[in-house]
Amino acid sequence: MEILLSVWEFFQNNILTKPQFFIGFIVFAGYALLRKPIYECVAGFIKAVVGYMILNVASGGLVGNFRPVLAGLKDRFDLSAAVIDPYFGQAAAQMSVENVGRSFSMMMMVLLIAFTINILLVLFRKYTKVRTLFITGHVMVQQSSTALWLVIFCFPQLQDPNVVVMLGVLLGTYWAVASNLTVEPVAKLTDGGGFATGHQQMVGIFLVSKLAKKIGNPKNSLENLKLPGFLSIFNENVVATGILMFFFFGAIISILGPDLMHQIDKGFGKNQNFLFYILEKSLNFAVYLTILQLGVRMFVSELTNSFQGISEKILPGSVPAVDCAATYGFGHPNAVTFGFLFGAFGQFLAIIGLIVFQSPILIISGFVPLFFDNATFAVFANRLGGIRAAAIFPFLSGIIQVLGGGFAAYYFTTGNFGGWHGNFDWDTVWPIIGVIMNNFQFVGVAVVVLLLLAVPQLLYRSHKDTYFLIAEDYEKYKEIEAAKQGVPVEEVVIE
Amino acid sequence: MLKVIAACGSGMGSSQLIKMKLQKVFKKLGIEADIYHTNVGDAKSQANNYDVVFCSDSLVGNFGGAKATVIGLKNLLSEAEMTEKIQAAGLK
Repeated sequence: MEILLSVWEFFQNNILTKPQFFIGFIVFAGYALLRKPIYECVAGFIKAVVGYMILNVASGGLVGNFRPVLAGLKDRFDLSAAVIDPYFGQAAAQMSVENVGRSFSMMMMVLLIAFTINILLVLFRKYTKVRTLFITGHVMVQQSSTALWLVIFCFPQLQDPNVVVMLGVLLGTYWAVASNLTVEPVAKLTDGGGFATGHQQMVGIFLVSKLAKKIGNPKNSLENLKLPGFLSIFNENVVATGILMFFFFGAIISILGPDLMHQIDKGFGKNQNFLFYILEKSLNFAVYLTILQLGVRMFVSELTNSFQGISEKILPGSVPAVDCAATYGFGHPNAVTFGFLFGAFGQFLAIIGLIVFQSPILIISGFVPLFFDNATFAVFANRLGGIRAAAIFPFLSGIIQVLGGGFAAYYFTTGNFGGWHGNFDWDTVWPIIGVIMNNFQFVGVAVVVLLLLAVPQLLYRSHKDTYFLIAEDYEKYKEIEAAKQGVPVEEVVIE
Repeated sequence: MLKVIAACGSGMGSSQLIKMKLQKVFKKLGIEADIYHTNVGDAKSQANNYDVVFCSDSLVGNFGGAKATVIGLKNLLSEAEMTEKIQAAGLK
């Protein structure tokens, strides 16, 4: 008994509460189960461990770089601030979890349980009506991180195993149900492309595709528009982040002034020029983001590979739910830029609103929600409602992202570490889930899961005859629609 | 050995999808390929060390002037489209 206990203690102290090794051993075990040669298992283990450790360095750096600015805002204006971006959100969630003395290893367990729940929901699709398996690894890591903090925030007393199981069920249900909502919109956009979206704005895609045709006319498409060439620099992550951060932090730090910054930031050298200090500070964010992404890529590519394998092997007839950017090839390149631009208008307007109405939290635009959510919305909106819809939806989304993200960063206190997830579903659906959890505790979680499970049932009822067909055989789906419209297949009009 | 880059906006999601599908397609076609996935910025600066770049149609414009063959994909998950474009470009 004594020996067993000390073995457990060893396991707990060295592996279970050390996320890097926990993730490493999971990858190792996964590869061993796939009967890969031992040297590949070892390579996978090392990449996963190093990847996670890189991520740790970057999270610390990101939050550390932000800290003097946060302190300055608190000192001067009694304000907190958050960048709405999934990487900042992930870093802030990790810091929040560790700050209350809990292990971040739980994130990985949550991810695995949630993925398993999604598989089960698809396997029993006859009853659950779920058609999609969420396999976007890096997004799963980000969402598991933020959601883990939400649960620990709402249930501070809950033991680790219970946290992991409860959240696994909740998050897995969300993955399955929300990505399932995108089956019809994506199939119609891509003419049966054979995938759905598994990202951060799935509910948003569903809403846009329901509302876009009411707002505009697809004939006035934005394909004829000429956009200024300089916008193409925003295609590069590092450049876009650098510009955004310089813009925002430049403004904030200038207002705080060099004297205050000298006091609170030891990194600000006595002889350093203020402008170059700001430049260095802003570009540091691009540095840490690049490192963070390198780390995530290292341990996630192993994960995504195996998820893709699983989705092809176990689940024929289901649809893989993948990165939102997979839809961009089916929209005009203008749509992507257009969405980004109007999303930025919306976000900037809302941020000015926050300042004017003296919100207790300041929001700073992050690149990922600004670009990826709003570009996606524009692609879907343009097809159904033309240029008008492609402008209005990203603009509204920008406003919602700032207000919802601001509320969430304040309410769930991740503003203390300068970040919130910030993508559309995480500024709308998840803050609502969080508030319900916080007020109604276990009953709230149960109600949310049941409500989520009801969504595919309702969707199924709206078009029983083609519900599974649209995912399995798009050509046949078109034939049926053509027959309904009484025209040959070539002339069928899909919404 | 063909040296291949798969690129997307952030270098996280779509580029890996392209890579996983490409691995299958190249194997079927009997072409030996080494595939690296990354973001557009990185891909741009490295394109000249590679034989071919795959990315979404919407990103092809970023690779003007690259020595490598640039192949734009409409459907990042379509093995049929990849096969067709690989053969059209005469890769081997």
